[in-house]
Amino acid sequence: MYEKEQDRVQAYLDGKMSRRELLRSMSALGVSAAAASTLIGLGSTRAFAAGFDAMQHQGTALKLLLNKHPYTDALLANLEAFKAMSGMEVTYDIFPEDVYFDKVTAALSSRSSEYDVFMTGAYMTWTYGPAGWITDLNEWIQDGDKTNPNYNWADMLAGLRASTAWNGIPGGALGSADAKQWCIPWGYELNNLSYNRNMFDQAGVSAPTNMGELLEVCAKLSTDVEGVYPIGVRGSRSWATIHPGFLSGYSNFGERDLTVGDDGTLSAAMNTDGSKAFHRDWVKMIQEYGPKNWSTYTWYQVGTDLGAGASAMIFDADILGYFMNGGGNKETGNIAYAPFAANPAADAPTPNVWIWSLSMSNFSQKKDAAWHFMQWATGVEHGLFGAQQMDFVNPVRQAVWDDSTFRARIDETYPGYLHQHDVSAPGAQIYFTAQPLFFDLTTEWAATLQKMVANEVPVDEGLDMLAESVNNQLADAGLG
Amino acid sequence: MDHQSTLERVVRGVLIALVLLFFMFPIVWILMMSFQTNEQILRIPPSLAFEPTLENYQALITGRLETQAGTLDIRFMSNLWNSLVLSVCSVALALVLGVPAAYAFARFRFRLGEDIAFTLLSFRFAPPLLVLLPLTLYFQELGLADTYIGLIWVYQLICLPLILWIVRGYFEDVSPDIEHAYRTAGHGWLTTFRRISIPLTAPGIAAAGLLAFIFAWNNFIFALVLASADKQPVTVGALAFVTASGIQYGQIAAAIVLSITPTLALALYAQRYLVEGLSLGAVKG
Repeated sequence: MYEKEQDRVQAYLDGKMSRRELLRSMSALGVSAAAASTLIGLGSTRAFAAGFDAMQHQGTALKLLLNKHPYTDALLANLEAFKAMSGMEVTYDIFPEDVYFDKVTAALSSRSSEYDVFMTGAYMTWTYGPAGWITDLNEWIQDGDKTNPNYNWADMLAGLRASTAWNGIPGGALGSADAKQWCIPWGYELNNLSYNRNMFDQAGVSAPTNMGELLEVCAKLSTDVEGVYPIGVRGSRSWATIHPGFLSGYSNFGERDLTVGDDGTLSAAMNTDGSKAFHRDWVKMIQEYGPKNWSTYTWYQVGTDLGAGASAMIFDADILGYFMNGGGNKETGNIAYAPFAANPAADAPTPNVWIWSLSMSNFSQKKDAAWHFMQWATGVEHGLFGAQQMDFVNPVRQAVWDDSTFRARIDETYPGYLHQHDVSAPGAQIYFTAQPLFFDLTTEWAATLQKMVANEVPVDEGLDMLAESVNNQLADAGLG
Repeated sequence: MDHQSTLERVVRGVLIALVLLFFMFPIVWILMMSFQTNEQILRIPPSLAFEPTLENYQALITGRLETQAGTLDIRFMSNLWNSLVLSVCSVALALVLGVPAAYAFARFRFRLGEDIAFTLLSFRFAPPLLVLLPLTLYFQELGLADTYIGLIWVYQLICLPLILWIVRGYFEDVSPDIEHAYRTAGHGWLTTFRRISIPLTAPGIAAAGLLAFIFAWNNFIFALVLASADKQPVTVGALAFVTASGIQYGQIAAAIVLSITPTLALALYAQRYLVEGLSLGAVKG
């Protein structure tokens, strides 16, 4: 790299120059925006390599299994920097999200050594870990010879570190002392409100802060804003209906999915009085203010409606609202964000989280090299590159959240986003009980919600029936 | 001579128009979507009037989609090519293997003949994942994982039973006396098979080949489990437009139009054979 360009990139990385100023000065030196991004990647990666033998796996070839996602786009945009730094060859397969986990399951269950590192969600590791398909990464994190002294594992948000570690015992607390680190957080989403500012202004309302206010705001929106429905939430018969807004609001009242007895047995906790009260509000919200085809709603429908101006707000992943504020949507620039604590007595929101993470295949023949790559991919430097240059949000590291360039970029384009995150992050974690029947039980929970919304069963009765069924399944599996 | 009254003709015309509208509407709507941007598609309420754009097709063909969110790399044309290679080669191989086998099952009675035929048919009923996971292990050992040859081999699970059982029926419908007469004239078994049996059952073979092609084209799971991203067919490739940051409806519609074009063209071209082949032997004399 020429000295002048190098100096400018370093000044940008040190926070002495804004991205706009950097691009302008690079342009004056005849460097394109794309080339400038690559130089930034190389510059930030140099920081990772300082004081560490970055070339220790030179010549080793790794293969990644990735989901088609903005996080993957950020990785690919910076991958050359890693290859140059490490001398390693990295190839990858990218599959669409609809089929991605089928591919992962097929590769792992057939004990294939083709892929060394792959993207996963923390919930999936509750199946992969006990099956012996993935590696406990504590062995590497705690190994001073294999882990860069600058890796700074403690900088990873505490709730995310804990949420990706489990001891494998059904009902075992996430992040316990004996927990195994099944994956490394890479990017994550928490659940809050994303809303259409114009519609809220038209109705003369501000973002609600609890469940009671939410219903009032919905009522005002439904009368004052024509042709839109007030609130979008997921409703398909899937675990994915339970984990975003629903569980975030539910947990805010201190309610749990299961309780763990003194003897370690699990039992359903969905039919408590508090749970029934929350379910009644939730069902009313959907029946009166939700989309007409709610029972078919997944991530895509909830997001598309907000972006297209068909809904006034969503209680879902913050990054879903983030994506809908760009990408050529009709409502681009009109979306704002707010923290939401469903319980008026709660101090702060308690959002459940989805964490895209990186796992190491237990069948990899190059585990040390795989860890070398994972350190870089989940490190501060790549996190900064992705957060500043690409849509690698939400970052999983405090250092990235503290970065002024990143904060300025988000604050400028996504009003309220930083605030909703900063207020919610301390309480953001997985609120489900870790156990192997996770997908079955949450899918049944979603099916019960559908029946309640369709008035096929009253809320109280539906929850009692759900609890009975859950207890039977837990007993059959030897967990209850 | 036309015995229909005007009223009957009008009613018939209206009913045909309604049926056509019912069946053609989704296809026409998708065709229209393929010439619209995402914003136009998601307008509320939807509108039939729009300014057509070729950007969806352009993005698919050039492999790059420029959006406000950035540039997306699209491998759709490579997916289309994979589908073409896998389907054509699989059907060709299945015809080479299946037509003589179908003839043998139709003409000769041999030990375990029916058992073998039913075993081959049973491949159609096996849940694919049940077969694929163990197969992955064998393929890795044999070096067939992530190869076109390996995939074409596995695609025989789809094509071979179809061709064998359909074509067998056509061979059974052709009178053996014709073949006997030709052989009495001094021709060998192979010549008789080539010159008499195959030409007589050609429409049936074409129909079976076309059906096998459609089934192979629509397959999804085999390549997904057994191959890397660079060997995936259109059925997997089309899903790449559904991403966490939004659904590219225009590209999906354009991808559907491009992916049904080969099968539609083939079906239209072979329509005569298809009708003739599928109705062959439907009425016995």
